[in-house]
Amino acid sequence: MDQNLTYETAYAELTQIAREIEDESVSVDLLAEKVKRASELIAFCQKKLKSTENEVNKIISQMEKNN
Amino acid sequence: MTGSVEKGVKHIRLSELNQKITTVIFGAFNNLSFWVVADVTSHSFRDQTGSHNFELVEKDPVSHTIVAKIRGKAWGNGTLRIEAFERQTGQKFTNNINVLVNVSVEFHPVYGLQLNLNDIDPAFTLGMLEQQRLSILEALVIKNPGFISKVGERFITRNNQLKLKAVLQKIAIISSKTSAGGEDFLHTLENNPFGYKFTVDHYHTAVQGENNAEQFLQKIIEVFNSGKEYDVVVITRGGGAQTDFLMFDNYNIGRAVARFPIPIITGIGHQRNETIADLMAHTQTKTPTKAAEFIIAHNKSYEDGMIDLQRRIIIRTQQRLSRSQHELVEIRQNTIDTARSVLFHHQKMLSNRSSNLQIFIQQYLKNKKGYVAHLVSMIKLMAPDSIMKRGFAIVKSGDKVISNANDLEAGSKIDIILSGDKINATVNQKMKNDGSEFNI
Repeated sequence: MDQNLTYETAYAELTQIAREIEDESVSVDLLAEKVKRASELIAFCQKKLKSTENEVNKIISQMEKNN
Repeated sequence: MTGSVEKGVKHIRLSELNQKITTVIFGAFNNLSFWVVADVTSHSFRDQTGSHNFELVEKDPVSHTIVAKIRGKAWGNGTLRIEAFERQTGQKFTNNINVLVNVSVEFHPVYGLQLNLNDIDPAFTLGMLEQQRLSILEALVIKNPGFISKVGERFITRNNQLKLKAVLQKIAIISSKTSAGGEDFLHTLENNPFGYKFTVDHYHTAVQGENNAEQFLQKIIEVFNSGKEYDVVVITRGGGAQTDFLMFDNYNIGRAVARFPIPIITGIGHQRNETIADLMAHTQTKTPTKAAEFIIAHNKSYEDGMIDLQRRIIIRTQQRLSRSQHELVEIRQNTIDTARSVLFHHQKMLSNRSSNLQIFIQQYLKNKKGYVAHLVSMIKLMAPDSIMKRGFAIVKSGDKVISNANDLEAGSKIDIILSGDKINATVNQKMKNDGSEFNI
């Protein structure tokens, strides 16, 4: 997975793949590859969201403790 | 002299003559007294006997030459009246004052003709002094338009228009060396309850007696020439006999006070009207102690102002902090809420995207399968076997499939292939077919 991948670019790419599949502009030859990439992107985004959530919660509880 | 006596000239002794004069004078003036206006000169006072000796003179108002003169004395009750006069007028009984006195005429065989002072009118002298004072004030205004003017009953001078510094600490005091007034002033200043510190320079001079006015004036000039930046100059006098403050009604002193560039505070300690120096000064107080209290109060009001500012700064700061804290709490809550909602939103979107994707993939695959299946059925449909099953036949001549009859003639051998069977046949006849039966 690309080191410089951000949530935004990952999500944008995911959207692009979904659109390609939906309008069937992707060739069958590339389908498996695209779906694999989509699954990776989904995992990446989920992981990113989860870790962000954890971090945010940690910060919030710190903020509440300081008050 | 003995010769004259021997000649038998009639004569009397001097004592007899003086006795005669005494008798005449006594006869003429006994039990009479007169109120007389005159100037006092040649005055002396004997402490042991408590008696005043002086001369009364009358001068020509124009030429000032003496037109009448007589010796006078006061003792006993007369001395007491003089003391009362001095108390009430603030004017010492001394040379060069104009007085209204009650006298009786006496002749003494040894001391000669003289007036005995029975009473002295303070009101007359007060009136004189007041008149003199008013004329000096008038002269001050007229001759010094640059720095003295009168507005209503108030005198506006350069000195009393000066603005006092916020804090008064460097002080020049003009007082007599032995003055209790100076002591009072210093004592009050140094024992102020607020712990204020002062630097005081002393300028000693006589502060009594009109004749010392010039010396006093020199002291004022000395303060100026010191070049020191005094915050304020204090003139005090007080303690001792409450008499003779005429010096402070002096024209030159009034003028010097009026134009002095450092604010002057007077604490001259008198009961009567304000002196001219008081009127010309920046601030007048009744006594040296009050002068010190004025300075302390002035500094105190500055300090109070500072304390008030400090208090306001603290209050405002606390209010500002508290407001900011509230804002911060609000922003924090917003941040928390927003962060959570953004996260939630993205989780939702991602999950939607993910499930959509699965649906799309399935749809995609299904569609692709559909295309293939369609092709299969098309191909099946077009296969010769299925065509033959529907009643069509393939005509061959030798190995060649015949799609038109150009090469066939009657008698040509052909193979007719049906779905399952093959028929060898010979062409009997060839005719045109319009084909409309099969043209769909």
